[in-house]
Amino acid sequence: MEISQKEENGIVFLAFKGRLDGKSAPEAEQTVKNILEDGNTRLLFDLELLEYLSSAGLRVILGAAKEMKRQDGKFVLCSLNAYVKEVFEVSGFGAIIPIAESVEAGIKEIA
Amino acid sequence: MSDNNNENEALLLVDDNPTNLQVLYQTLETTGCKLLVAKNGETALSIAQKAAPDLILLDIMMPGIDGFEVCRRLKVNPDTANIPVIFLSALTDTKDKVQGLQLGAVDYVSKPFQPDEVIARVNTHLTIHRLKREVEQKKDALEDELEAASDVQRRLLPKNLPEIAGLKLAVHYETSLYAGGDYYDIAQMADNQWGFLVADAEGHSAPAAVMMAMTCALFRSYPQPPAEPAELLYFLNEHLCKVADPSFVTALYVVYDANHHTLKIGRAGHPPPMIYRSSEKKAIEYPCGGVFPLGIDPYEQVPVTEAELQPGDRILMYTDGITERFSMDGKTYGEERLLRQLEGDPGSQPQEMLAAIMKDVNKFANGRPADDDQALLLAIVE
Repeated sequence: MEISQKEENGIVFLAFKGRLDGKSAPEAEQTVKNILEDGNTRLLFDLELLEYLSSAGLRVILGAAKEMKRQDGKFVLCSLNAYVKEVFEVSGFGAIIPIAESVEAGIKEIA
Repeated sequence: MSDNNNENEALLLVDDNPTNLQVLYQTLETTGCKLLVAKNGETALSIAQKAAPDLILLDIMMPGIDGFEVCRRLKVNPDTANIPVIFLSALTDTKDKVQGLQLGAVDYVSKPFQPDEVIARVNTHLTIHRLKREVEQKKDALEDELEAASDVQRRLLPKNLPEIAGLKLAVHYETSLYAGGDYYDIAQMADNQWGFLVADAEGHSAPAAVMMAMTCALFRSYPQPPAEPAELLYFLNEHLCKVADPSFVTALYVVYDANHHTLKIGRAGHPPPMIYRSSEKKAIEYPCGGVFPLGIDPYEQVPVTEAELQPGDRILMYTDGITERFSMDGKTYGEERLLRQLEGDPGSQPQEMLAAIMKDVNKFANGRPADDDQALLLAIVE
């Protein structure tokens, strides 16, 4: 699992590469926690290169979405591959977490 | 205790030369440890076996069996293998030091030694040995606790499967660690109606086991017969929302009317059931709408899907520990393989069919241990 982070125009971009599962979830959780503690209110996850997402990974994403909501911030997931999209559909998470087709569309959604 | 209180610890000093042994004895008396001595390898092995000292200082050059051989024999004997050994010898050749360490010694002191150095090294290794023992004891204690939790958890599962006229049932349940987050339960209602619940608390081990137990308690305390999947899931969710954050529980709840062979299915973040139609000889993931998992946010509306079963049809409820079981090369077992298994031999009894599925899943994993809990509930209409 690789997570790269950048900030542009007040939006924090987190790009995930590889597998977000029980093994990599704690690191991802900590990264998200640091971002939230820094008072950021716009967060975008780029999942284009995310190959696998387990329920522990879903918890990290859910945690980020809920915390953002609590802080009146905005959160969006972008560029899900077919497998990850299916995980969101079957699990019903798609109904509570905003999903955008591309990073560009995601930026518009939370701008 | 991890301080330097050495009173209860014993050192075994081994040297064939009485003068050396005496100097060593006097040097180490100040440590407060109980001191045992041996003048040759044979005696050293015998004392090590009987007295189980906490550390052995071992001379290499001795008549009879030398220090290297003593060390080798200590390390192959399970009773003495964990006792740290420090070699003490006039040999200063690097090759000898390496040989000693390769035999499992923890350290090497060259003679003539500096008393302070020997004392310091002995104290260091006693501390390491003590901490290692403590860690092992704590690990054992923790494993005992988890095993106890696992026992309690198993008792939460139904003891026996009910006898349902016209429906044959089987379950498979295994946790990846001692205790797990998977749960299944069956509720008997009036008019030959039955409720089947399969749930999966996110994560494994203790936190998941607590959520699993909560779900069980809620299901069994549901104030009326759980004949309506939407109402049951709404109820479970309402209560789990108070405790789950940021975790969650996925659930599939199916009410089966055994008189009319009809199903009502409610789904919260859980994989849909697989249904095998005997008329078509084909199994599919039964399309049914659903809501996100339990414990996140209140539900507005929980969709319910209805279905009808015919004699010979099969319905499989499962947790994703099955379909997401990994092979050695990182592939997942997947839904397709499970569907093909469900299309197996039409004469099969459900228990045999589950055994065949688990055999196939384990064959696919090819020795890679499961990293999630695995539960399956299979019903076949007669």
